[in-house]
Amino acid sequence: MGSVKIQNMTKTFGDFTALHDINLDIKEGEFFALLGPSGCGKTTTMRCVAGFENPTSGSIYIGDREVENVPANKRNCGMVFQSYALFPHMDVFDNVAYSLNIKHLNASNPIKRLSIFGRLLSKRLGKYPDDIRNKVMEILEYVELDQHANRLTSELSGGQQQRVALARALVMEPAVLLMDEPLSNLDQKLRHSMRNTIRTIQQDLGITTIFVTHDQEEAMSMADRVAVMDKGHIVQIGTPTDLYSNPQTPFIANFVGTSNILKGTVAAEENGMTVMKGEGFQLKSSNKAKNKDVDIIIRPEHVRVEPADSVIDPLQTNVIEGEVIMSTYLGSIVRYDVQVGSYQLIVDTTYSSGANIFQEGKKVKLTVDHERVLLI
Amino acid sequence: MKRIKNGFSGLTVIKVLIYIFFGLFMLLPLFSVFIVSFTGQPTNLLGALTDSTIFNSTLEKLKGISLESYKKVFSNSGYLTALKNSLLLAFLVMIIVILVCIPLAYGIARTKMPFKKTISALCMIPLIVPTFISAYAFIIMFGRAGWVTQIYNALGGEGMLLNPYSMAGVVVVQVFFFFPYALWPLVAAFKVSDISLEEASLNLGAKSWFTFVFVTFPLALPGVISSALLIFTVSFSDFGTPIVLAPKELNLLVVEAYREISGFFNWGGAAILTVVMVIVAAFFFYLQHLFTKGKNYGSVSGKPKQQKLVENKLVNRSLSLYSLLIVLVPLLAMLSVALQSVATTWGKDLLPSGYTLNHYKTIFSTSMGNIQNSIMLATGALVLSVIIATFVSYFVVRQNSAKLDFMTSIPLVVPGIAFGIALIQTFNTAPLQLTGTALLLIIAYTIRRLPYMVRSTMGSMRAIKQDIEEAAINLGATPLTAAITIVGPLMLPGIAAGSVLVFVTVIKETSISVLLAPPEWAPMSLAIFQNILRAEYYSAAAMSVVLVVLVLALQGIANLLSRKQQLK
Repeated sequence: MGSVKIQNMTKTFGDFTALHDINLDIKEGEFFALLGPSGCGKTTTMRCVAGFENPTSGSIYIGDREVENVPANKRNCGMVFQSYALFPHMDVFDNVAYSLNIKHLNASNPIKRLSIFGRLLSKRLGKYPDDIRNKVMEILEYVELDQHANRLTSELSGGQQQRVALARALVMEPAVLLMDEPLSNLDQKLRHSMRNTIRTIQQDLGITTIFVTHDQEEAMSMADRVAVMDKGHIVQIGTPTDLYSNPQTPFIANFVGTSNILKGTVAAEENGMTVMKGEGFQLKSSNKAKNKDVDIIIRPEHVRVEPADSVIDPLQTNVIEGEVIMSTYLGSIVRYDVQVGSYQLIVDTTYSSGANIFQEGKKVKLTVDHERVLLI
Repeated sequence: MKRIKNGFSGLTVIKVLIYIFFGLFMLLPLFSVFIVSFTGQPTNLLGALTDSTIFNSTLEKLKGISLESYKKVFSNSGYLTALKNSLLLAFLVMIIVILVCIPLAYGIARTKMPFKKTISALCMIPLIVPTFISAYAFIIMFGRAGWVTQIYNALGGEGMLLNPYSMAGVVVVQVFFFFPYALWPLVAAFKVSDISLEEASLNLGAKSWFTFVFVTFPLALPGVISSALLIFTVSFSDFGTPIVLAPKELNLLVVEAYREISGFFNWGGAAILTVVMVIVAAFFFYLQHLFTKGKNYGSVSGKPKQQKLVENKLVNRSLSLYSLLIVLVPLLAMLSVALQSVATTWGKDLLPSGYTLNHYKTIFSTSMGNIQNSIMLATGALVLSVIIATFVSYFVVRQNSAKLDFMTSIPLVVPGIAFGIALIQTFNTAPLQLTGTALLLIIAYTIRRLPYMVRSTMGSMRAIKQDIEEAAINLGATPLTAAITIVGPLMLPGIAAGSVLVFVTVIKETSISVLLAPPEWAPMSLAIFQNILRAEYYSAAAMSVVLVVLVLALQGIANLLSRKQQLK
């Protein structure tokens, strides 16, 4: 088990800089997600940790060990590949036993080596010792695949293949578990249950895990902490709730959850409130603005919709007038697109049966509490 | 892309070894032949590096470099006619093969002609038979006492229907035994050309034949040209047919070069002929390459195209009849060889005067050694090419080593005779005196047939995703261990397919065997060749049958293996 520390790492491919000065400090036992759109450098970061790429500069520590000169096969990072990368010519058991065989191979005399090579090439050519057999069966039981030990991997379902890949990485008792978009090849339902499985196993074993994904829901629901990356930079690191309630850039506000982003300028500071003006609206926020020009972030679920004729105290909350452009009924919630000035705001309201849905073209009043207006 | 910095040392060593191998046994011989073609005297480049006296004498010779020998050669009318004849031969064979193949390919690709499967299967015969056996089979059929000649005379013909010992004879043999090389690419070309365009033509009121001439054929044209150029190179480089059939007065480049070396030890002349051969073959190979390239990217898409097969009975029946006639000739040729192998004497009458198994007895008592040699040499070449090809495809596919890719395709353009001469010239003196050893023979076979092997292994290498290998490394294996335990087993189907091809072509190989094989290592092909030259036709026939059966058996095993693989 170990922590992972990345210091000032950059990586260039020719003229293209894939990673700019990456710094990460991943604690022992932590479930850490690298989140970002495709091409943001998250996979490259992971491949540098695994040793498949060499950073152009900077250093990586696994545990206390600086790993620059440690080749990929000696880093003891279990990796689950996006495509699973199961060995197609081996059955489930042999796949999982592979790393144990290699360990034996490195610790044996030349004659024993031959027999290990034998069983790596074909089961008939060499017998497994009991300790390997037991260990493999134990982990297969753990991922509920002990019944399928002698199946070829191509005969398994996607979820089962995923679990083989996981078992194969776990059996070597890696210092770090690396997962590269492990759920992207599964269908929606399976993805949800695999999320729970992975999270449970990770908690159970307390293994340091780096999880690469482009799916913010995945990262937010599984990880202890998330690093959001964009164009080779780390934009923000934090817990899921932290990222959601305190996005530090509009990019994160938009990438982590849905946001309404408005451009505004600070008009005044009064009674601990920041007053902002923009095209067709005026808003007050209990948050402080750093600059005069601000990005105002409002989450769709923090807005309430009231009829145009309702009376609301403007000192208690922000009131904005708008017109419903579209309403979409999504079951438990109703999503409105509301025109406010030159902006179209997205508003999610919980729907209780029998309640009125505002029709398109209807004038409405939107209210947002002062503390819900985030400023960047 | 630089990947794993450490742990590649083992592989790097292997890469260097492969470069040394090609450099020493392919580039150096070709280069020194090039030098010799100017100096006119044998040059020992390797010796020059190790021995100062040789170095000085080599320098002396290099000072004497001039175009003198080229001038002399090209004023020598014999060489010039040889070049002209060789080009003419290749050109004639090219044209006739294409004309013969177009209806055949169209029939296979586009119609429901009867006996299609049988015809396709019979088209394989020419590919398994070494050309000098086919040439010899034509002597049995069309020679002065051949059975075809006898039938022809009985029907009132005068003399021979076709004199096998002539340009016409060589052309006919090559046409009937090289046509499959063009056939399958042509079938492919007819299959990929877009059928909807033909339908459009018919829809616009064009007649069927009009559509074929002005739409179908032009669409298949790139494929046609590419196969034509391939046939040109194959015919130009072929040694087996001319050496058996070409009469004294018919000069051909390959025969001339062989005689210069084995008869007169005229190094300068042989070297110049070698250089000329390589240049011509390389040029046509390059042209062919250009056409194939365009074709591959142009018309093959993943979208399956609906193929409507012609059902017109008259068309189908006449195509089928025509195709059967074409494939019947090689079949009859082989049957003639088989019949001769069990004949006591044959030649006076239409059929042999008696039948005996004595020729086989003789072979299995006196020539068992040749069979063993063939198998051992082929096995040696096989092992060597499996190892080299596996690593070469690894380097080409995983490390984008374009240089190695290029290097392993050079043997494709070097005619066997040319390569043999280059090797003899380079390795017949110290420090590396290998001429006349089984080792050089095996190396020569290996290099010559390596392109087939590499093509095959490269295909399966490409199919193995990089991350499977990375997974093995991630699990603790060194790159070399990963290559042995993961990549190797996954490449097995490709290796198996390539192996059979290498084995079969090595057993068939004539030019290299004739030039390089020492008596104690004479393979079957050389033994048959010598028997034919000594006019010991009956044992040559029996040995040929053994060779063909061996090749057939191997091919059968290979087919069985690949079918099993597919079922898995």
